[in-house]
Amino acid sequence: MELTKTTYKTSFLEKLSVERIKVELLRTAYGHSLTFLSKFDPRILIAWYSFFAIVPWFVHNKVVLLGMLVAIAVLTYTSKPSILVLLILALGLVSDAAYMLVVSLLFGGGLSAAWALSTLTLKLLVIALASIAVFSSMDPEKLSDGLLSLGFPAQFSFGVAYGYRMLPILIEEYNNILYSYRLRGRGPERKGFLGWRVILYTGKLSVVAFYPLILNTAKRTRTTVEALEVKGFTYAMKDPKVKKIKLSYLKILPRDYVFLAISAVYVSLLFYVGSHYHL
Amino acid sequence: MSTATIGNRFELTSQQKLMIFILSMSLYGISNMITELLPQFRVGPVELKVEYFIFIPLLFAILFNPLYAALGACVGELVFGELLLGQFGGVSELEKFIEFSLAIFVAGMLVTDPRNKRQLAIAAYVAIGIDQLLGTIVDIAKVYIGIEDLEAVPGLPESILAIEGFSFLNAMIVSGTLFSLLPIIYLVPRLYGKVEPLLGMKPRDGRAKVSVAGFVTPRFIIVAILLFVVAGAAEFLSESDLELFTWEWEMDLGNIGLWLSLAVAVVIFIATLLIIRKKRKTNHKGETIV
Repeated sequence: MELTKTTYKTSFLEKLSVERIKVELLRTAYGHSLTFLSKFDPRILIAWYSFFAIVPWFVHNKVVLLGMLVAIAVLTYTSKPSILVLLILALGLVSDAAYMLVVSLLFGGGLSAAWALSTLTLKLLVIALASIAVFSSMDPEKLSDGLLSLGFPAQFSFGVAYGYRMLPILIEEYNNILYSYRLRGRGPERKGFLGWRVILYTGKLSVVAFYPLILNTAKRTRTTVEALEVKGFTYAMKDPKVKKIKLSYLKILPRDYVFLAISAVYVSLLFYVGSHYHL
Repeated sequence: MSTATIGNRFELTSQQKLMIFILSMSLYGISNMITELLPQFRVGPVELKVEYFIFIPLLFAILFNPLYAALGACVGELVFGELLLGQFGGVSELEKFIEFSLAIFVAGMLVTDPRNKRQLAIAAYVAIGIDQLLGTIVDIAKVYIGIEDLEAVPGLPESILAIEGFSFLNAMIVSGTLFSLLPIIYLVPRLYGKVEPLLGMKPRDGRAKVSVAGFVTPRFIIVAILLFVVAGAAEFLSESDLELFTWEWEMDLGNIGLWLSLAVAVVIFIATLLIIRKKRKTNHKGETIV
């Protein structure tokens, strides 16, 4: 039974993922989706996100966390996240929670342990959804310019934008290399116990396929950097004037302040309610 | 940026550093997405999984420059493995970031000759060993210093010890051998001398030997230990005692407590930003000492 289960899972995921990932990533990288959050200034969004990425860790009150979760879930819904990302998130959370529950039951913690751990799950959910909401509604240029204007090094912010754009291409290339290895190579004849031969073979291929990928990517990286240098990237980025011109389109508008103010009021209300009620 | 002042060691131009950074970032980013999607095998509470493809940043650390390979890999993981997939864990990511870059960096500095297989093997295990050991120590210490919810529950600390111990062994055996040792031994000799010309560099030779002696100064070791302590402290702060006193304050002072807790959060946020910046700076400083 174990055997059929695992092999089914692998092939199902494989079929679902590769094509799906490419499409989803392309959409993230190139789709200028007009979502609610994408209207705001990237710096404001980054600040907003860093609040929701850090503060939940210090809050142990379930009322506050639930309130945050509701607001962020609505925002995530408006930002039209990809189903794949949500699926990965759900799988991770469910399996983590189940795993901790099983272990604490084995060691005699009982259901109270599960209740204690549900706070942690809630925190993780708030943080994860906030990150999905913000990062799936920002296009790479906006994100990288936002980071640049916040004082991150130019290499970093360029890397982020470049990675967003390149990732779908690289994944496609990796997939093609894997296919060609499979075509030329010969899979294991017997599956072995729990299919370990198949797993080993797949693992070996997935490592070996990086060899051509590294060479190809190295070539491509060089081309990119040369193209950047033709534009004077390294020298321009050290010049504050160039940075100013590049970032001149970023403006914090009144609506950004309104967004921040509403969020602040909402969070303060949550803390106020949370200080009176405990769950 | 201080990157321009480095350069007499590997004689890398800032463009080449950018190439290494991008290469390490994008490839490690991809591998991270793959490992996120790989199924995990579970037999009861025992979990077997592929932690990460640590060999990718390690390859670049050995073949090119450890510092930029490590930074690139961390950024790649942060952006593609975490932010894009919504798996970002807040302050505790800082700890992982520092541990991982330290591990890759130290392992990369250990190798003086990429053709020497014994050095490669040592580097492969050192990289994963540093990363996993530091992570395990922080996790176990966290339980003993006390997460308030867990302390109330009997049996949970022991179970966490068991989980951590097992996941450490699992990582060392599965990821350490299959995804660090074997790929490094297989790939480094094949890539050595082939990938460097593609980036317009000379293959790294015995020259690197001098740099290692120059690099691992007492000061570097102290900085490394300090960074780890800072990372651990960030982790503890995010999950332990801090919460207790903020809520006690709130009971007494009502509304003021709310602003206090908000202020504490803001202060911690700014402090982490400063730490990240400082870390970058100290790294650069470390390199200019020859």
